[in-house]
Amino acid sequence: MKYLSTLILFLLVSSSFAQEYTISGTMKDSTNGEDLFGGSVIVKGLSNVGATANSYGFYSLTLEQGSYTLMYRSSGFETKEVAIKLTKNMSLDIELSLPNDLQELEGVEVTGVKGNDNITSSGMNVTKFSPKDIETIPVIFGEKDIMKTLQLTPGVKTAGEGNSGFFVRGGGADQNLVLLDEAVVYNASHLLGFFSVFNSDAVKDVALYKSGIPAEYGGRASSVMDVKMKDGNSKNFGVSGGLGLISSRLAIEGPIVKNKGSFILSGRRSYLDLFLKLSKDDNIKNTSLYFYDLNAKANYKISKKDRIFLSGYFGRDNFGFGDVFGFDWGNATGTVRYNRIMSDKLFSNTSVIFSNYDYRFTIGTGDDSFGVNSSIQDWNVKQDFSLFANNNNTIKFGFNGMHHTFKPGALTGGNESFNELILDSRYGVEIGAYVQNEQKIGPRINVMYGLRYSGFDLVGGKSYEFDKNGDATSETDHDRWEKIEYHQGLEPRFSLSYVITENNSIKLGYNRNFQYLHQLSNSTTSSPTDVWVPSSNNIKPQIGDQIAIGYYQNLKKNKFRISTEIYYKALQNQIDYRNGANLLLNNQVEGELVYGDGKAYGLELLLEKKKGKLTGWISYTLSRSLRQFDDINEGNVFSARQDRIHDVAVVLMYKITKNLALAGTFIYYTGDAVTFPSGKYEIGGNVIPLYTERNGYRMPDYHRADLGLTWYLKDKNRFEHNLNFSIYNLYARQNAYTIAFEENAETGETQAIQTALFKMVPSITYNFKIK
Amino acid sequence: MKYLALILVLIAFASCRKVIDVDLNEANPATVIEANYTAEDSTIRVFITETSNFFSGDSEPTVDDAVVTITDQAGNSQLVPFISEGGYVLENYIPAYGTTYTMTVLSDGVTYTASCEMHTLIPQLGILYDYIEPGPFSGDGGYGVAVSYNDPAAAGDFTSVLISKNGYQMSGLNDITLSDDQLTNGNLVIRPLFVEIFDLGDTVEIELRTIDEKIYRYYNELISLTDPNSAAPANPDYQWENRALGYFSAYPSSRQSVIIQ
Repeated sequence: MKYLSTLILFLLVSSSFAQEYTISGTMKDSTNGEDLFGGSVIVKGLSNVGATANSYGFYSLTLEQGSYTLMYRSSGFETKEVAIKLTKNMSLDIELSLPNDLQELEGVEVTGVKGNDNITSSGMNVTKFSPKDIETIPVIFGEKDIMKTLQLTPGVKTAGEGNSGFFVRGGGADQNLVLLDEAVVYNASHLLGFFSVFNSDAVKDVALYKSGIPAEYGGRASSVMDVKMKDGNSKNFGVSGGLGLISSRLAIEGPIVKNKGSFILSGRRSYLDLFLKLSKDDNIKNTSLYFYDLNAKANYKISKKDRIFLSGYFGRDNFGFGDVFGFDWGNATGTVRYNRIMSDKLFSNTSVIFSNYDYRFTIGTGDDSFGVNSSIQDWNVKQDFSLFANNNNTIKFGFNGMHHTFKPGALTGGNESFNELILDSRYGVEIGAYVQNEQKIGPRINVMYGLRYSGFDLVGGKSYEFDKNGDATSETDHDRWEKIEYHQGLEPRFSLSYVITENNSIKLGYNRNFQYLHQLSNSTTSSPTDVWVPSSNNIKPQIGDQIAIGYYQNLKKNKFRISTEIYYKALQNQIDYRNGANLLLNNQVEGELVYGDGKAYGLELLLEKKKGKLTGWISYTLSRSLRQFDDINEGNVFSARQDRIHDVAVVLMYKITKNLALAGTFIYYTGDAVTFPSGKYEIGGNVIPLYTERNGYRMPDYHRADLGLTWYLKDKNRFEHNLNFSIYNLYARQNAYTIAFEENAETGETQAIQTALFKMVPSITYNFKIK
Repeated sequence: MKYLALILVLIAFASCRKVIDVDLNEANPATVIEANYTAEDSTIRVFITETSNFFSGDSEPTVDDAVVTITDQAGNSQLVPFISEGGYVLENYIPAYGTTYTMTVLSDGVTYTASCEMHTLIPQLGILYDYIEPGPFSGDGGYGVAVSYNDPAAAGDFTSVLISKNGYQMSGLNDITLSDDQLTNGNLVIRPLFVEIFDLGDTVEIELRTIDEKIYRYYNELISLTDPNSAAPANPDYQWENRALGYFSAYPSSRQSVIIQ
């Protein structure tokens, strides 16, 4: 901390000694009063002088005494110019408006004004979306899903057909830090991955960091997906919602006290099971299958300098059959935040965050019934500061402490044959502290450098030692707060951009990330029972190191953007499983694990068109993702499942008239790596496949086109509504979901059987909004 | 989880299946030794074959010129003579429970060795059956059966249960019920067998084998290969030194039968 204060002091005094004043305030959306995260302010006529608002919309800019024209801008909004005369410290809250309808009618601007931020910003390209940006993009069952749109961008790969799970730059599915208002979401999918837990009505925006990850984030090896919930309209009450093929949504928002506080309540429920009730088949009729989400958030400005936020999420999936068995799972998160503007340069946020994921099984009724349940629960206290030291340096620093409780499973009930089995709870304390500076060096160079220290202390419960075959050799009991193993590491983060001209730049990024929690899953589909385990005396933290370099070019007055990035990522202490590993209800699950390393590298190209009647992007990724484990594949390097070499996505949105928007997507990728047999033999009359190599084969290539049409119905006063028609898998391509080898009952020959999930799925959704 | 995925896929979304061509490599032939020493009839049965191409329709090539010997814990060896078509059989080999047997197979210049403990028999107490209403796992309804036994007080007992229906042995991998005693140690165990639904008048014969942990794990690995959702299928861990496929299992069996009425 001594160095930190010296650094801050140095930065403060190193600025010139002329008389300086600060202008600070908050940037907001004029229509609903939502904070504008990622907005920026620049000084007209001065190159590379400006400030970027933090995630609560707060900005601060220090200039020499004088008159200036400030330009406030944010993606999707009209730039606002304000002339100021700076003779003392000033406070100025700014509201930006959406581009007006006149322009839209003429087809001049569709997604709003956006300049060349992508060229000049210091960070590597952050992929950022708001639900508004993607509302016309067709998706399966018409269920708008921000995670599925992210999968259409370079470097992000879907976990499978219709699946909201994803892999970033060759990393594992558990290596993405998924945050909802700062709370970790441990299982971000519903219905085995076909839907994400993020209800688009409740989401303000999402940012995905693939490289050059800012130092404020930690805990996962590959990427950060930061989802922010809407704050609620602080000007007017509003109701919005939608009726879809398989689910409906409703959201209510409004001011608590006008312009001082607001709330939003949003809910979604699927009703697939209502259709099942119509079935004549008793088995189907008695099946229940649904999920729901509830999002709630409120914020209130206590004074001009103090503001509090409360936000929460609760979602659950439910699957059951009559009273024979039931299975439900879900996440709950809660965040309390306190913002304080400590001075016109220093902004503080304090958060207390809760997160829980659990699943439950109940089987049978009466005396013989038994149940299984498992959970992971976090309490996190976090303090963050943004210091707008001067025009050239924006410093962020902070720390957090998080307590994890792992309850890997308990089996209770059952008849007298069964003993109860309650697996040992485990506890961990994860800490982090970081400092990061975003610095401008001259008119062309922006650099962000930071350092994060992280540590993980596994405390209490039982610990085991294992021999090389995975058999336990010792078992030790520990007191509740007794240390079992402490892991720690320094995580440097760095990114640099060099602006060549105002239309092109080069960026460089490096980051190291430690991951102390690991998800165990030995199935190809994400499963609600995938269990999280902490680093321990046996499991070392996963470490991800990534270096990336990119070239960015804007063409035709920022109408087109081209970005090219290459990356190399090294992954240490990766986890895989022994043959026939038992991951469920196993106290000694660590004995089932084997460890190795991974590497991933690739080239990503993106061509975007941001303005005009036709907008969209084309993305291409060429990449590899490889693993090496001493205990797998005879120690030879093998492809990770997500080693998908070519991956193309085309997204086009066309505004036909003011009331009609057409959108289409096309996806093509080469097959995932898969293990197939290279021979067979018989055991007890059963044909057993013989394997020679892990992931040595490829699934067939995947391609699919989707089409969507959004019809904006006539607005009446404060009522807006639209109808969205979409067709998933337009040309009914049967893409392989699984390939299984089965014996033909008639001929006795072994055949390869491909299963495809969805042929053509049409859907219709009605959306409305009352403001 | 398999059921959940299956039901979701089957009910909610009409999935489509088709036969496709997959081009598979040809692995070099490897030796497969399936060796059982059944205490019930004091007989050792060994079957030695080679692996073949995956899509080949022919039966597996047999190995007829191997030298198979069994050695007891005291070090006494005896030859298991060749009978026919890959089969080697030794009868009247009296088991000593609680001792370890070692089998050696010399084939084509390579010696394969595996050992297995002959555990003490866990006797069946009887077969229970009960009517099950029609449901997702019981089709049109029928009788489900359960095996009962007293699990020994010491932890670490492993069993496998096989069923014969009307004299027909159900021998598919998914017809085998494997159990450890993690949840049942020292208890009176009533283990339902979710393998088959029976009708009135069916004869059900249940064989309860007391098996070694190695064999329990081996069969679990084999069964996991039948799950199409397995992310990374692999050969079961080698049971034979020098890496022959297959296993050597020595086990006692307890057999009972009942007519559903």
